[in-house]
Amino acid sequence: MGRKGGWLDADACVIGAGAGGAVVAAELAEGGRSVAVLEEGHRHDPDGFTARMPEMLARLYRDGAQIMTIGKPPIMLPLGRGVGGTTLINSGTCFRTPARVLERWQHEFGMDMSEQSLGPCFERVEQALSVSEVTPELAGANAEVARRGAARLGWSHGYLRRNARGCVGSGVCTLGCPTSAKQHTGITYVPRAQQAGARIVTGAQVQRVIIERGRARGAQARMTDGAPFEVRAPIVVVATGTIHTPLLLGRSGIGSQSGQLGRNLSLHPAAGIFARMGEIVDMSRGVPQSFYVDEFAHEGIMFEGAAGPPAYAAMALPLTGRRHAEAMADYRRLALFGLMVSDSSRGSVRTLAGRTLIRYDLSYDDLMRFRKGLARMRELFDAAGAREVHLPLPEGVKPERARVRDLKLMAFHPLGTARADARPTHGVLDGEMAVHGAEGVYVADGSAMPSSLGVNPQLTIMALATRLAFHLLGKGVASTAANEDLGAQCPS
Amino acid sequence: MTTFSARPGIGSLDALIAVAPWPQRWGLRVLLAIARRPRGVALLARAAPWDQLVRGLLTAGHYDEPEVSRSLGWDADAVVARGRELRRAEERP
Repeated sequence: MGRKGGWLDADACVIGAGAGGAVVAAELAEGGRSVAVLEEGHRHDPDGFTARMPEMLARLYRDGAQIMTIGKPPIMLPLGRGVGGTTLINSGTCFRTPARVLERWQHEFGMDMSEQSLGPCFERVEQALSVSEVTPELAGANAEVARRGAARLGWSHGYLRRNARGCVGSGVCTLGCPTSAKQHTGITYVPRAQQAGARIVTGAQVQRVIIERGRARGAQARMTDGAPFEVRAPIVVVATGTIHTPLLLGRSGIGSQSGQLGRNLSLHPAAGIFARMGEIVDMSRGVPQSFYVDEFAHEGIMFEGAAGPPAYAAMALPLTGRRHAEAMADYRRLALFGLMVSDSSRGSVRTLAGRTLIRYDLSYDDLMRFRKGLARMRELFDAAGAREVHLPLPEGVKPERARVRDLKLMAFHPLGTARADARPTHGVLDGEMAVHGAEGVYVADGSAMPSSLGVNPQLTIMALATRLAFHLLGKGVASTAANEDLGAQCPS
Repeated sequence: MTTFSARPGIGSLDALIAVAPWPQRWGLRVLLAIARRPRGVALLARAAPWDQLVRGLLTAGHYDEPEVSRSLGWDADAVVARGRELRRAEERP
């Protein structure tokens, strides 16, 4: 809409149009509430997607995908920016929250959630996003390498479920889907919200949530041109993501009673492992993240596909000089797979002189997970018949001797900086995702997660956003739009 | 074999560096300037993390060049054209 200056009245103000915000906005609007969405970024026209890496990183990612954590080791943390948020540039992988995680949330954090109770929320989201399993044909040869290795070793594996419809395997999910096959929230929930009357204001950087006498009264924003903009609403849903939500709550003077605001940051740190195969792989043909190996998931180690065009591979390839050039000359035979750790390390987010600082140090336990994971990845590729395996370690360093500073890591799933805990002394949010001590303010993004998930979080974020929306509507969640009247309940 | 050059792809990297947070923006420009000097690459090789960062950017810029990526079997323009055609044919958003 791009309305500059002025104000809006609404029943609910949703801040952020990514995985959480878009879902809440659509469900509330379709439930008959007037909704205003404030989104800092802009809409991205798929006609502008070029599949050129530097250009797309500059346009679709916050700070050009160059956000780094401070600590040992520094970790690159790419985040999306714009309508659709990170769902616009993620790989589209969809996992439900693992049962073991929900059990932990129940016992340690007092969350009233179970596989059964969240089932209708997940079903509703999965239907909205056309979630289905990738076919072997679409998965491509890169996935086949991992499948072959896992099968020979007898390791548990499978094809991933994704939110895609009519995918042809363009191989550039993270650079903007050129076919609009990926069902990100910018083309699913946001249009639904608008159709139901929600007003979407882009280019609006929210300064603070307005609180009067302990109650939400709306949000104040500044538009791209500097003009002030205000939404007046008795309900405010903050969904600006794990890095920015705690900062916004802090600026608004809420959520800090427990001392947990901005803390408990988990990231799912990850590394890419390359192998030179005998066969042509063409890793960029097919779905880049289409296959997983979860043999060691119970130990916090998960393997998932990762692939991209030559520029992507060149940037991630852990070689230098002539060896790098030689490996890249053989790009068509390169296979790439990702190692992701369900971390026990915890970091923090804060601001210093107006700059966002993300502090994160990898713990010894997580270093051990990386050592084991890298050794197992080598085994996987060896079993698949790799001629050479390139681990993300300095030359000559073996996985079992790797130090924290040797690791070259990235992370894609920041979680937990406004964690939910039924006890106000231990968490920022209660079990309904309401900010403790601030009536009418809720959170619907990764910051609300009580702990690391061990799997890609977008489906969990969306399911909890669905749960929140129906709680605000005062009714149970129907598992699909078609049987809403049947009232299959997802407890709110 | 594809030979590496620090020169190609610099233009596309400038846009990327321009949107980086200011500390990185400043730092990357300095490091890239060093890398472009005759003995710069050797100098950076002594500082492993910086060397890795700069080399990563430079190589991404290099392999993003259409003629380089096409020689490796990847054609961004063809992928994008197919996507646009499909979107229009099926009236996708």
